[in-house]
Amino acid sequence: MIATTQYRPAGTLSASTALAPYQGQMNARLAAHLLRRAGFGGSPADVARVAAMSPGAAVDSLVHYPKDTGLSGRPDDLGDDYDGLQQKVTELQRMGSDPAELKDARAALGRSRRKTTASMQRWWLERMVRTPAPLQEKMTLFWHGHFTSSMVKGITPREMMNQNWLYRSNALGNVREIAAAITEDPAMLKFLDNARSFKEHPNENFARELMELFTLGIGNYTEQDVREAARALTGNTVRGAALGGGYTFALRRHDFGTKTVLGASGQLDGKDVVEIIFRQPAASRFIAAKLLNFFVYNDPEPELIEGVAALLRKYDFQTSPVMSQLLRSNVFFSDRAYRALVKSPVEFVVGAHQLYGLSEVTDESLAALGRMGQALFDPPSVKGWDGGAAWLNSQTVLARENFADYLVTAQTTAQADSWLVGSVPAGADAASTTLVGTILLGDASPASKAHLSSYLNGEGTSALGVLSVENYQERMRGAAYLTMAMPAYQLS
Amino acid sequence: MKRSRFLLGSVAGLTVAANTDSLFARALAAAPLPGLPGDDRVLVVINLQGGNDGLNTVVPHGMEQYYRYRPTLAVPRGDVLQIDRNVGLNPALRSLKGMFDAGKVAIVQGAGYPQPDHSHFRSTEIWQTAAPDRIERTGWLGRYLDSAGMPENNLFNAVALAQVMPEAFVARKVDVPAIGAFRGYGLSSDKQASTKAAFASLVRDERVPFDSPYLGRVAEIEDHAQRGSQELPSLIGGYKTTAAYPATGIGRSLALAAQMIGSRLGTRVIYVQHGSFDTHAAQRGTQDRLLQELSDGLKAFYDDLAEHGNDTRTLTMTFSEFGRRVAENASRGTDHGEASPMFVVGGGVRGGLFGAHPSLDELDNGDVVYTVDFRSVYATILEKWMGRPSREILAGEFSLVPLLA
Repeated sequence: MIATTQYRPAGTLSASTALAPYQGQMNARLAAHLLRRAGFGGSPADVARVAAMSPGAAVDSLVHYPKDTGLSGRPDDLGDDYDGLQQKVTELQRMGSDPAELKDARAALGRSRRKTTASMQRWWLERMVRTPAPLQEKMTLFWHGHFTSSMVKGITPREMMNQNWLYRSNALGNVREIAAAITEDPAMLKFLDNARSFKEHPNENFARELMELFTLGIGNYTEQDVREAARALTGNTVRGAALGGGYTFALRRHDFGTKTVLGASGQLDGKDVVEIIFRQPAASRFIAAKLLNFFVYNDPEPELIEGVAALLRKYDFQTSPVMSQLLRSNVFFSDRAYRALVKSPVEFVVGAHQLYGLSEVTDESLAALGRMGQALFDPPSVKGWDGGAAWLNSQTVLARENFADYLVTAQTTAQADSWLVGSVPAGADAASTTLVGTILLGDASPASKAHLSSYLNGEGTSALGVLSVENYQERMRGAAYLTMAMPAYQLS
Repeated sequence: MKRSRFLLGSVAGLTVAANTDSLFARALAAAPLPGLPGDDRVLVVINLQGGNDGLNTVVPHGMEQYYRYRPTLAVPRGDVLQIDRNVGLNPALRSLKGMFDAGKVAIVQGAGYPQPDHSHFRSTEIWQTAAPDRIERTGWLGRYLDSAGMPENNLFNAVALAQVMPEAFVARKVDVPAIGAFRGYGLSSDKQASTKAAFASLVRDERVPFDSPYLGRVAEIEDHAQRGSQELPSLIGGYKTTAAYPATGIGRSLALAAQMIGSRLGTRVIYVQHGSFDTHAAQRGTQDRLLQELSDGLKAFYDDLAEHGNDTRTLTMTFSEFGRRVAENASRGTDHGEASPMFVVGGGVRGGLFGAHPSLDELDNGDVVYTVDFRSVYATILEKWMGRPSREILAGEFSLVPLLA
């Protein structure tokens, strides 16, 4: 990978007006930009609808989303057999029984986990594709990558789904309250080993990541703070499956002694630690930087981070007013933010489904998402997904293009009336204008548009000849795929 | 970069150009690389990701305190594959112990760095950039590749067999491909000549009506991905082996590494990812399994390399971002610690133990104190194996560890 000093866009930030509301005109490009960032891109009809609104009204419609989306709340398969299989493995382990039997039980558990994970991933992706509340799902994805957990260490599908709903219910909620809630979230307590932390030897994993990755960032706490916070968090655990699971506070595991975290002393528990953390100015700056990197552009300037941090403090860490102001701001609608982020694999896959009006996500698309590097409920580490340049390497880029090829050649064939092949184009130039306009909002060079026209006219091949009634469907699909391979489509 | 610009202007000649590249890569195999002493030597770096517990890898069975600190996790003395009266290997490392006994494995004990950081991410960054005391954007292997004058038009100067590009490869000039798995490394649309040619020119669309800090990167990576995936299968397709690799992730990665080394693509560095060793709970099962996968994988790898006469030109080094706390926690696991051992295998390595095993009497707040700066191991490999001065790459002078002649 070639080192760049930074991925901050060129040009200078006007700090005084950056977060003031954008007063300029809305158009299709900016509407699509807003829909990509506050959602997953939307359909061509969504872009047209938002382009007709004022920027403020468009942002309001996304932030004040409908409470009832009319979508199913749970995946079809939530691993009903999972608890039983898990218990059987535990039982066999305890009895020290026949290794072959234990191996079989483990294999059955693994199969159940994979099947259920796929069902959960499909359910969430289809929800993202179909939702009338795209920002709710986008924020849920943001929290999933921020307060992250993956389905390992005995986390059951139900626990993972409950965490997912914690984030969805608080999608534009209060960061401090979400942080407090995860200190009692069974999936998180298992993922970061707090479920097995005892006062005699506190497990530091959760305490460390709570400060390092979730709230403050490195350099804003000491090793001693980690050790003391770990003591405060002892006792926050998960009941055994036989007792019905769920969060419980185990009195006998908790260290009731006096602790000192970030300079505050007392008989602290987990919720106290969260309160103390959010009194640090570093917390607002850390969350602000994370939001800017996800929604606006990478490597944001310190002044911009401080501006958003001040909003977080002003609204007492409530994200709804902060996101509302950020999404309607000058900096958000500026040239500097436009196409300044790398599309994440989820944005790539969900956006492509919306572009072509495909509402079902196939096994092939699910597998492709994993190859692109973003399997849902399975982030690579407790840091979530790095994003930015890390999305792009030979392997993941090939996976993107192969998915695009699969989607437009195999998946759109049943759609006789789509914008792509619904009518015979007037000619190759008109067709390439439609493709570049609909897929890239015009973001291609004249030379590339001309090249696309040549492809549509069959130049360089011996077969068929110019674009015609006989060949246009196949050519349009090939050209749509090529348009999705162009640089603009990799960027959000 | 220059080559890519040439391609941009010659779409019709693409097939020929791609073949020229393959021929070029083959030509590299025949002649020693210009300006690279040590001709065709390869370094394989294996990352034991997540923080490998050093004390249960190279077990200090002669230290009583080890058994006191680890009432449930300690490897019983009778199970240790003894090296001497003091230390031995975890029994999961049986294959590696065989290689050690044959003099093909150097063990560097207590590798670490001053003022260790307990964060996975910062400590990984420190090992990858070799810069504990500053924020450094380039990786140590990236700086090596830049300084070694690697041929710009070889797409396989170095390869990461990983899903995510390791920071160690971040360079100013040389772009390294990441290949997570060989299966799926290719473009389905390349089957059609017209799409293949159009793709090659359209992905390099840089005169777009917007600016983006990622534009150049996107265009370059798409171009490299297409060309690399077109060439690699034919470049390595003729390679055969009888070595029996375990059916594990690291087994598959090392099999591909041997295939690339044996096909002589001019590849100098291969990076392999293995883990996760982040064993906060129920450590024994997880760590033992991962160590066995490493050990059996390395055995098959060197059998394969030896079968083709490549074992003496391939050096393998393992590293982990940190070891783990000396005392076990209440979850039968261990938390983030400090120093841990490194294995250096194959090539012209002098087998044996290097560096002192960290003391368990004098701990730094519950952690072992490093006895060898990991940059000394990097410096040794750069100077003695890769034939490059290490001072500039590592921003300092580090004493060499006598594990390479």
